[in-house]
Amino acid sequence: MSNIVFSTWRDEFIDNRGKPLEEWSETEFKLPETYHGDKSSKAFIGWDGVAIFTEDIDAVELASQYAAQYQQYSEACGRCAPGRWGGRILYDLLDKIARGEGTHDDVVHLKEVSQTMMTTSKCEIGKTVPKPILDLMEHYKAQFDRCIDAQVPSKHYGGDTSYIAKVTAPCTDMCPAHVDIPAYIEGVRDMIFTESLQATRQTMPLAHTCGRVCPHPCEDACRRANLDEPISIMELKRIGADYETDHQVPWLHPKEPKPPRNDGKKVAIIGAGPAGLTAAYYLALEGIQVHIFEELPVNGGEVAVGVPEYRMPIDKYNKDIEFVLQMPTVSITNNHRVDADRLKEIDAEYDATLLAFGTRLSKKVYAENENPKMGGYWGAIAMLDKVNLWSKYGIGSPASNELKDKTVVCVGGGFTSMDVVRCSVREGAKKVIMLYRRDEGTIIRNTTYEEYHEAVEEGVEFIFYSAIEEIIDDGEKITKLKCNRFELVPDPNGGRAQLVKMEDGDFELECDYLIPAVSQAADLQLIPEEWNIELTSWNTLLTNGKDYMTSRPGLFAAGDCEYGPMTIVNAVGQARRAASVISRYIYDGKCTLTDDEIMEDHLNKLKVYDKKEKITGWMPGLPRAVSEKLGVDERKDNNREVNLGFTGEEAIAEAERCMRCYYISMVAV
Amino acid sequence: MSRHNSLGLGKEITVTINGKECKSTFGKTILEIARENGIYIPTMCYLTKTLPIGSCRMCLVNVEGVDGAILSCQEKATDGAVVMTQTPELYRERQNIMKLYNVNHPLECGVCDQSGECDLQNKTLEFDVGDQPFTARDQHRPVENWGHVSYDPALCIMCEKCVRVSTEITGDEALQLKFGGYSSSIVNVKKEKNYASLGEAAAVCPVGALVDTNFKYRTNAWELTKIPSSCSHCGGGCQMSYEVKRDTIYRVSNHAEFSTLCGAGRYGFDYANEGVSKDKEAFKSAVNAVANAQSILFAPQISNEEALILQKIKEKQGTKLICHEARAYQKFMRAYGSITGKNLFSGTLKKISESKGVIVFGTRINNDAPNVKYHINMASKWHRARVAYLHPIRDEEMKNIVTQFMHYAPGSEEAVAAQLVLALSGEAETMPQNITSVLETLDPETLAAQSGISSEEIGLLQNALSKKQGFSLVVGSDLYAHPRAENIAKLLALLERYAGFNVVCVPPAGNAMGVSLICDLDDEIEGMSVGYNVKGDFTLSALGEGDLDMPAMNQQEGTLVSNDKRLVPMHVAKSYGGYILNDIANAIGIEAEYTIEYTTALPQLQGFKQEAFDDLPDYFDISGREHRGYLLDEVNIALDQTIEAVESTKNMGPVVYHCNPVEQFSPLTAKCEAITGEAQLVGSAAFAKETGLDDGQRVLYEIDGVTFSRVFKIDTSMSGNIALNPSYDMGLSAALLSSYRFKSVDFSSTKNEEAGS
Repeated sequence: MSNIVFSTWRDEFIDNRGKPLEEWSETEFKLPETYHGDKSSKAFIGWDGVAIFTEDIDAVELASQYAAQYQQYSEACGRCAPGRWGGRILYDLLDKIARGEGTHDDVVHLKEVSQTMMTTSKCEIGKTVPKPILDLMEHYKAQFDRCIDAQVPSKHYGGDTSYIAKVTAPCTDMCPAHVDIPAYIEGVRDMIFTESLQATRQTMPLAHTCGRVCPHPCEDACRRANLDEPISIMELKRIGADYETDHQVPWLHPKEPKPPRNDGKKVAIIGAGPAGLTAAYYLALEGIQVHIFEELPVNGGEVAVGVPEYRMPIDKYNKDIEFVLQMPTVSITNNHRVDADRLKEIDAEYDATLLAFGTRLSKKVYAENENPKMGGYWGAIAMLDKVNLWSKYGIGSPASNELKDKTVVCVGGGFTSMDVVRCSVREGAKKVIMLYRRDEGTIIRNTTYEEYHEAVEEGVEFIFYSAIEEIIDDGEKITKLKCNRFELVPDPNGGRAQLVKMEDGDFELECDYLIPAVSQAADLQLIPEEWNIELTSWNTLLTNGKDYMTSRPGLFAAGDCEYGPMTIVNAVGQARRAASVISRYIYDGKCTLTDDEIMEDHLNKLKVYDKKEKITGWMPGLPRAVSEKLGVDERKDNNREVNLGFTGEEAIAEAERCMRCYYISMVAV
Repeated sequence: MSRHNSLGLGKEITVTINGKECKSTFGKTILEIARENGIYIPTMCYLTKTLPIGSCRMCLVNVEGVDGAILSCQEKATDGAVVMTQTPELYRERQNIMKLYNVNHPLECGVCDQSGECDLQNKTLEFDVGDQPFTARDQHRPVENWGHVSYDPALCIMCEKCVRVSTEITGDEALQLKFGGYSSSIVNVKKEKNYASLGEAAAVCPVGALVDTNFKYRTNAWELTKIPSSCSHCGGGCQMSYEVKRDTIYRVSNHAEFSTLCGAGRYGFDYANEGVSKDKEAFKSAVNAVANAQSILFAPQISNEEALILQKIKEKQGTKLICHEARAYQKFMRAYGSITGKNLFSGTLKKISESKGVIVFGTRINNDAPNVKYHINMASKWHRARVAYLHPIRDEEMKNIVTQFMHYAPGSEEAVAAQLVLALSGEAETMPQNITSVLETLDPETLAAQSGISSEEIGLLQNALSKKQGFSLVVGSDLYAHPRAENIAKLLALLERYAGFNVVCVPPAGNAMGVSLICDLDDEIEGMSVGYNVKGDFTLSALGEGDLDMPAMNQQEGTLVSNDKRLVPMHVAKSYGGYILNDIANAIGIEAEYTIEYTTALPQLQGFKQEAFDDLPDYFDISGREHRGYLLDEVNIALDQTIEAVESTKNMGPVVYHCNPVEQFSPLTAKCEAITGEAQLVGSAAFAKETGLDDGQRVLYEIDGVTFSRVFKIDTSMSGNIALNPSYDMGLSAALLSSYRFKSVDFSSTKNEEAGS
């Protein structure tokens, strides 16, 4: 049954006022009719319109409070003339009407200012804030007229409705870590790179890293794509981080770190990967004592020992890591593998424990005669460990000892498999083959266009629509692979096309090393059986995806070990949320979310990006900047960083294309 | 190899604006193209010399086929775009924006300093804002005094020009935006530094929000007469205008839209030689002295024309001409030119601002030449340039610009120059054999041991510059009086000629570059001397301390040569009642009615043109191109491509570095009330320890025959073994200093004095 009294959200127009309940239209959008728990919302107002959930709404106060939010949240704004004064005038006039002191002239002025704001404002806040206000003034005109004609306050003026607002942007919403992207891009445009970095650090401490090796889901929600091409958002992130490193400025925190609380409360974190480091940082900003237990002798998790040097130079990542570890309340123990007994001790000793140990067990390809102990069988994680421990830290020995002049076959199609094959090229393998079950388009979608084409340029041979049927060995090591070929057979009923094995498609491949990179599993050996921890169907730790607590009170999980193998930015986003929840949990034993977090989740569900939206006020046809990369011969036999990053000119030009799509949303509760 | 150009800049495009076909290249904004074609689009926050700001929204235009209004100041024009800049709707929106700007703007035009030159006044009238329908609750925001400038937030329209100047141009980065919607304002996060460069921020402020504190309430803008001129302090020759009323200079302004003026030019204007009348007896003595002088000693604060007069005196009488700093620069540039085949360095300031890599060597550039530092800052901001700063002393003021500081030992500049050549001259196939054979004898490790710059640091520098194009090298006066100056010059010239570096050899303060081109200078004083702004046996002085008064630079007309190789004009800003150098010249038979007659006589063999002073243009066009004076011609000179091997050097121990504080360049700037201060010897803690000096102690020492008596202060932020020794307060003795900028000084006379007292 529809709960929507009235809505102008996006292209919908719903007006159920005065209709019998059975005839009420439903909305297609996932509007936040329930705020949190059993608290329901009275209205939701935002950049695309307004939705009312109760017949008893005070539309005049709602409008004036929305205008008030525009100013209160102007850490994002105040930088253009129409926005700065227009916003103030909107609020003053609306409040005047709401108080019972308004005139009809005020309504005329409101409309005039709204028109100027919508036409001339610099960012989307200025352009969109007037829209729902104008909607309310039109469709709830009676309420406005009453306040003016009778000179009385609006019906619930100064009442007990709370108004909770959140500023967002389509890119910010799509980003798993909800990075304030328009702010850090503006910092580049203003050439105040410290501000750019500080904006990034509000939601992630790892600015060098996420500015280099993120698959940038934000760019798929970039409104600029509706006009010409999306902004090169990821590339712009490293500019601020580079500035901090180049000029050795003191560490830039998003806000003044709180002094150590020294109240005996402490949090344990298992794993010093991106999730663990992020959680440690945000807890440390609050002055909370944190201890990290890391299994490896080096820090950084998969980003350090998985992602190769040529994509993510370790000296830059180490700067990110140093930034976190130098916080006064963060300490770390390395070479400390936590098993079930140890975890029980830690769980008892600490006020909360965050599991962030990733997914480091390579899965099998499930071919016949698959024997992980056979010579030449090398799980991707183990192989990359070896490559990176040597090339970045001088630990162990070079993988070229094994791979030089050999034939390497990798099975996979994700980022890990790309790392495997491109590292194999650099370690001197004679022939490197990637065997992938699907096609080129899919592999590009799973990774990135650049990654795939750079691999091809470096000489990796891609064999599509193929899989291994049987692994042939000589008793000591692998010698050959028997492979099947598949084809995509369209479904006569119009459903998904199916992969069907071709009758005469079998072929053999010579193979010295088989490196499966077909996803990874979480190593759950550290979970005591008697805890009966709930797991997902793919054997990672189950949480509700909002507060990240497992089925055991006080035990939290974030990153790959919760979600499954995913991106760095996902780990960062989850860890930051977990840290926030933990920071309250250790004092009151409850899992609570802040209003900001509740709104974040609501917006995520509603989906901020509208790919059908028409963009106005921007010049189309300005090309997306592309950074220079090393040439093939310059890069394929060494670990030099391939992506040279933007020049200053490219960075500023790209930042100038950004349309600063800030939006304000507000819930009346 | 094709240059990476993902932005597609430079392609030819055609754009139609208001029906007029305009040709341009891709990368230019709609506004730039409009202005180049004489089409007006209103702006309030646009500053030509910075990147677009986009805060006022006045410049919105319509583009055919594109919905909404397009921001012409920022959006690049695409090929075939059809633009309309004036429509009734656009007019209405612009009018509304002006109404919004006027909301709660205090109606104090009657007393506001900006009145008469206020962009808010101009645009309010232009857009016929006759009534104000909008209101907002007022806010109380008190006026803030920031030293040289004052900020009144109530008048501020948040156009952000001041912040951009502070960030992109001057690099002091003191001004920042404080976000807060309606209560947004500008904040000064470095108040305690009292940067005089904030004067430039005040200059670009379109309203009366940011103003010069000293000028406040003194007079109305329309009562002042503008005298266009050029600044004579550091050698930058920057555009400036004196604003005078009743023979008093009230302030200095500049064409801040296109050009930048540092605090010395802006606040250092009250140095005129006032209250002088003709003293006939003194004049007779002066003529006699000059006619019989065997040497004329002069300070580099001199116009080209007066330098030419001195040269003519030399040609007539055989008198020696001594100007130490200019002489050192002259010898350096002649050696430099023997490798490049040109009489001037080839680099320009504009190219510095476009560089991806800048090496600064042998100069404390923030003190020595602010306008050069500004261009390095622009490269840092616009191009994320790698900036390597090579010097024995770190400069905290350069921290936000420098990406690699390389310390070298004082005295080891020749080794450093050789290290740079070995590391950066790339493929040396085009270098003549006799040069490469010397270079091959140089051992990088020996050079590293001499200079203190390790091979690792050189490697980092090479890495920073790899895969980039467009490098600049900026060198300065540490090198010119170095004992090995000529070989250093030749080594560095190799980087210009064979490695494609954009090299600027920043001349010492004053008009040293002009003097070095015009005069045959000598090395040693001989016999009876006349000093011109320097102590001689007979002294002509604009400082009021000599035997005959002379006019100061702002009391003369003439030209200077800027460090951007441009001849620029100066005009008289303040009257002068005494004798001038030309009077003396006439009296000894070198005849010309006016000093400026010599402008056409400046030596063409050195690149000067035969343009009359009164014909010299002095303006910037709407696109920012400079039409001031003329650029010196490039003159070919004889090549003599030889270099020498590097001599070994000894550790100099604790040294004193001849360096004036920012905004001080000469005894003339020392006279200026707004920027002068007590001159002190400022040293590091290590220096104090090694020399045994105490903080606050008065010390006595001698350099080049000049006695200094100064208070010594310790600056704990300074590293190394060095103290900074200014000379600007030394009056007529200042220009006697001639030797290499770093000097080991004997402080024992101080201790003896103490022991004795």
